Amino acid sequence: MTAILEARDLVKRYPVGDTQVDALRGVSLTVESGEFLAIMGASGSGKSTLLHMLGGLDRPTSGEIVIDGVDISRLDDEHATLTRREKTGFVFQFFNLIPLLTVRENVALPFLIGGEPLGEHAGRVDELLELVGLTLKAEHRPNQLSAGEQQRVAVARALAHDPALLFADEPTGNLDYTTGGEILDLLWKSCAELSQTIVLVTHDARAAAYADRVLVVRDGQVLDEIALGRRPEHHPGALLERLAALGL
Amino acid sequence: MRLSAFAWRSLSARPGRTLLTALGVALGVALVTGTLLTADAATRALSRAATDLYGEADLRVRAFNSGGLSEEAFVQIRTLPGVAIAAPVTERRLTISTLPGPDEQVFTLLTLGVDPASEAALGRPQMAAGSPLDTDHPHGALVSSSWAAEHGLGIGDELLLTGSAPDVPPIRIQGLLTDTGFGALSGGSVLVLARETLDTAFALPAPLAAVDVNAQDGREGEVEAGLERVLTEPFVLETVADATAAFERAQAGFSGIAFLLGLIALVAGGFLVANTLVMTLAERTREVGLLRAAGATGRQVRGLVLRQGVALGVIGASLGLVLGIGIGAILVRVLAVSRAAMVDALSLSPGVIVFAFVLGLVVTILAAWFPAAEAARVSPLEAVRPTSRSRGTLVSRLRLIVVLELGIVIAGLVLYPADRGEGPVISAILAVGLLVGLTAAAAFLLAPLGRLVGAPFERFFGAQGLLGRANLGRDRARTGLSVAALTIALAAVVTVGATAASARGTAERWVESILPGGHAIRLANPSPIDALQETIEATSGTLYASPIADFGVVASLDGVEKEMGVAGIDPTVWQDAGSLIVVSGERSSMFDRLRAGGAVVLPDAFAQASGLAVGDTLDVAVPGGVEATLEVAGVVAYSLPGRTGEGALLVSLEDARTIFGADLATLWAMVPQPMVSDAVYTEEVALKANQLAGEGLTAAGLADQLNGSLDRLLGLFDLLALVSVVIGAIGIVNTLTLGVTERAREIAVLRAHGMTVGQVQGMVVTEAAIMGTVGGLLAVTAGLAVTWLLVSLAPRDFAAGLVIPWPLVGAIILLGLGVAAAAGIYPARRASTGPLLANLKQFE
Repeated sequence: MTAILEARDLVKRYPVGDTQVDALRGVSLTVESGEFLAIMGASGSGKSTLLHMLGGLDRPTSGEIVIDGVDISRLDDEHATLTRREKTGFVFQFFNLIPLLTVRENVALPFLIGGEPLGEHAGRVDELLELVGLTLKAEHRPNQLSAGEQQRVAVARALAHDPALLFADEPTGNLDYTTGGEILDLLWKSCAELSQTIVLVTHDARAAAYADRVLVVRDGQVLDEIALGRRPEHHPGALLERLAALGL
Repeated sequence: MRLSAFAWRSLSARPGRTLLTALGVALGVALVTGTLLTADAATRALSRAATDLYGEADLRVRAFNSGGLSEEAFVQIRTLPGVAIAAPVTERRLTISTLPGPDEQVFTLLTLGVDPASEAALGRPQMAAGSPLDTDHPHGALVSSSWAAEHGLGIGDELLLTGSAPDVPPIRIQGLLTDTGFGALSGGSVLVLARETLDTAFALPAPLAAVDVNAQDGREGEVEAGLERVLTEPFVLETVADATAAFERAQAGFSGIAFLLGLIALVAGGFLVANTLVMTLAERTREVGLLRAAGATGRQVRGLVLRQGVALGVIGASLGLVLGIGIGAILVRVLAVSRAAMVDALSLSPGVIVFAFVLGLVVTILAAWFPAAEAARVSPLEAVRPTSRSRGTLVSRLRLIVVLELGIVIAGLVLYPADRGEGPVISAILAVGLLVGLTAAAAFLLAPLGRLVGAPFERFFGAQGLLGRANLGRDRARTGLSVAALTIALAAVVTVGATAASARGTAERWVESILPGGHAIRLANPSPIDALQETIEATSGTLYASPIADFGVVASLDGVEKEMGVAGIDPTVWQDAGSLIVVSGERSSMFDRLRAGGAVVLPDAFAQASGLAVGDTLDVAVPGGVEATLEVAGVVAYSLPGRTGEGALLVSLEDARTIFGADLATLWAMVPQPMVSDAVYTEEVALKANQLAGEGLTAAGLADQLNGSLDRLLGLFDLLALVSVVIGAIGIVNTLTLGVTERAREIAVLRAHGMTVGQVQGMVVTEAAIMGTVGGLLAVTAGLAVTWLLVSLAPRDFAAGLVIPWPLVGAIILLGLGVAAAAGIYPARRASTGPLLANLKQFE
């Protein structure tokens, strides 16, 4: 496998009043193509900050991030935006669908943003709707969907343009247990069947257990790396034991 | 901390928006203040115009016949016991030019010949600069100051009297008249000379049009009775009141239209206040919820929002007064320079100042009532809810807005100074219909029209177009309100433009219908027909030269006597040329009856006012002369100008000469031979007119003259309406700013998915452009509907019906698009520069 994402010695420092707070303190990591990586940590550990850096939503104070051969850590806003458009997909906790667009239009949003004719991508959109099981609700508006269905649309949207990396930030945080499981199954399916590389940020061990590998973050540093391997049953037992050993 | 301090902090937290909103109110108040101060200056000018015209004179003895009073009559007046001063005023129309050269200018002016000594004794004319006429400078002349300014002339400039005797030297401007008194006559196009100079310059002396009389103290009644007793020639006695009424007729409607435009601007400002407070509330719903949770009552919360309204009202109205005084000063100056209306110097009337301030404040408080009521209903649960609460149905929100509009218009009417006539009442009723209708229409039609208008945007701008269009549907009441504010302002521009176009169409139709052949010669004086017939007929290329005998009669209508002008025309020439628009009666029989004699054709306005119809009879008499009973042969849409605004009665030329002894004509209709080019014939007629010290007229030129003064006035109204457009634009800035604030997280998600800063900005500007285009379309529809209503209500003034000014229609739609797109720039920048990460985490 080849590395699709490499981060080296990432530091993120925020000014707070007269002092500086280090949210990330020298984080390095590599994500292989087709890998499902989970970044786990408690609230305030720096896991979301790390995801924002990796996804090109924010720039590190120092360090380097290379996605698919492109160093994004020093890109200006315009180029960072275009890199996000071409190489990444995002799934957020609160779905964040565009309420006035239909399900189909929401899924096709990356193409719309890219100025590509929707007609050319109709087949891809249909394929994704089928993948997330919403073919029959393609013309519905988000407010006509359940929370789980909305998050499924968000996943389909993130996969639309076949991104090199899909970042998921607490994608089950706003869902009940069963629905959350469905979304994790969907993510895993996209990884296992479509070789989609996924970076998942979560504080939930059950969600992290879907990953091939888990990075545990604490105080802005990688505390531990837990290799779980690709496991269709996603049982969290091994992960929980390891976390317990770390005192988490 | 007191709640009022909280209200103030809430406003100061968003200084930009607060300032914009206060500016919206300020512009509304400024427009009301400016227009009212201008109307006040116009009213004062009207009363002063007549007073200055009379000076110390108590009475004006005006000649009834166009040939004027005789010298004998003047002597009789001057020597009448009790008469202290008798000042003769002769009148003729003269073509004047500046000295030959590359910048030579030619004008047609009403020229008055006066006796400088008598004028000085009457304390007139009122001078703006230079010196009055005197016997030491026989070739001195006076012109109105604004007319001189318009044509770049001043004291010391010399003018030539066209058609004067060869040895007459140029006259020299030695003084500038104020725009009242003599300077107000003929719209300021007036020249005053010594009577003797005027008479000696031409072969024929100018008719003695009037003698202004000052009676010795306490002997006014005696003089009046003496005049009735000794004068044998027909005359009319007039007073200052008659002159005032005449000036008022010329300027009617100005105050009403100006007030209407001010009110529209104020309503647009009111919308702005309502929208801003709704925005403030939307942003602070959680905060209000916390206040409620902490024990603040609904009433306290309502008071909080109302206090914000009062603060905005006080700031806006105060600023508006200052701006309004500036606008008033500009308006007065523009009116004075353009001579579109007669105005006095600007004076800060306390009544107007208080009225405008209170109106601005009341409007703002009314506008604040809607969001205040909404705030009072915020539940303590809002404090913990992650998303904004539902806003109620479109209909329920619109109901409140309609109530607000009604409140504003009613407040305007209640507070409006009562002595300004009925115009504003009718205007306000129209305004209510327009405002309510448009607000509802904007909210309900926004979605379908947005889809229609948005289609090309979507096609050309992709995601920006699609999202921009879709965003319109988020809060239809709020977006509809903003679109309505812009629409109302644009509709005012359309109404002004379409009314102008309709009036222009009517003027052209009028002039064409009363000028057979499309050409005429207007002589300086009423001149004997027989003496000139051969000379005028000899004009090269002429088929007919048809004199129009003009004289005056007194018409008896149900025992009431009314002075009317009569024009004697050649029925055959007018019939063959297709002149006159017959509205009642059969065309050929109307001309047959005129030819047969003893018949009269009535202008429609007179027929309507008198109730006379075809077949009825009308008793007329020349004072001190013949009496006749004429049968009404027909009613025509327009007639030649007469002594009243209704136009002249038309009789056959033969009747005019044989029955009424009218052998003088000022106007000659000139019908060219077929195949003679219009341009060549225009030259020939002008040449002949110059030889006769008159002026050549064409239908097109006359229509241009009529339209020129109309254009000046309407241009001014357009400017006022455009201020409302600015207020509408500020409303769009506010609405879109709130919109992008509310959906900050959504925009952040779009950015996360690769939407560039430029695309986000394009999306918001597209949204604004679609709003503006929808506003433009609605404005065109509403403006044309209102104009159609105005035209239908006044068929006599707009006989050509509704004329749609297509270029204006296109320009308004583009203006709506452009103004709104420009208004979208600030919110677009705000949307694109928001903190991406913080916005992504909103509500987490």
